[in-house]
Amino acid sequence: MTVQVDDDLWSALGDPTRRRMLDLLLTVGASTATSLSEQLPVTRQAVAKHLAVLDRAGLVTVAPVGREMRYRIDDAQFARAVAQLAAVGTAWDARLARIKQMAEAIQRAQNETNNRETRD
Amino acid sequence: METEFASIEHEIHVDAAPEIVFDVVSRAEHLAQWWPDRAQIETKVGANGHIEFAQADGSAPKRVPMTIVEVEPPRRFSFRWDYAAGEQPDEGNSLLVVFELEPVGAGTRIRMTETGFREQGWEAAVLERNYLDHVSGWNYFIPRLATYVGNLAVSS
Repeated sequence: MTVQVDDDLWSALGDPTRRRMLDLLLTVGASTATSLSEQLPVTRQAVAKHLAVLDRAGLVTVAPVGREMRYRIDDAQFARAVAQLAAVGTAWDARLARIKQMAEAIQRAQNETNNRETRD
Repeated sequence: METEFASIEHEIHVDAAPEIVFDVVSRAEHLAQWWPDRAQIETKVGANGHIEFAQADGSAPKRVPMTIVEVEPPRRFSFRWDYAAGEQPDEGNSLLVVFELEPVGAGTRIRMTETGFREQGWEAAVLERNYLDHVSGWNYFIPRLATYVGNLAVSS
């Protein structure tokens, strides 16, 4: 079994343009690719591609309105993603920082002991 | 959704020899200080044990099984956790945590990877967030670090 290292959701949130798009969708509500592209320094085609990524990750839902597709944030998935990603990231950051602190304290204590032995 | 794997990777440089870092990441008495409230496990391949998370509401601590997978001092240590008590941990039911230690000068670079089903990772994260809420001082005194969520571009 191959381990899929690339996670759709996490890479979806990892792109600054997509995060800005999510910001816009959160503030202005449901939007079309055209209206989003008018507020971003990227083409409508690029916006459409980014929307497809967000859609695959379940972060937006899409519904046809007239001849255009309208995208809106999937509130449940979005809230969940943000909370959980933050939790995962800070949990391991905290743990590794603590590991660092503990190992360095032990190392310093050892160095001091060694210095004292060489001096004596 | 259940079939999707997720992985998080972190890297950190530590100004301590790999031997010391190895002890800190792998021995229960140290582990209990950087992770849960309590850890009971032998640093031995195949050893079964558990870690415990205190609950914010004061109810009985949540006990989570853990099994040691690799013990290769001072370079590599890995374990599986977060599976149902009584089950044999494998890729289908648990999270795999791997620590790789590489000597860099007088210090050590730790590369940590946690892999498992995305849903399970989320559940574990919630459990730990509850724990971190409970131990409110923990996040406080540690130095702030750059947060890496998702796959870290490994820079050497």
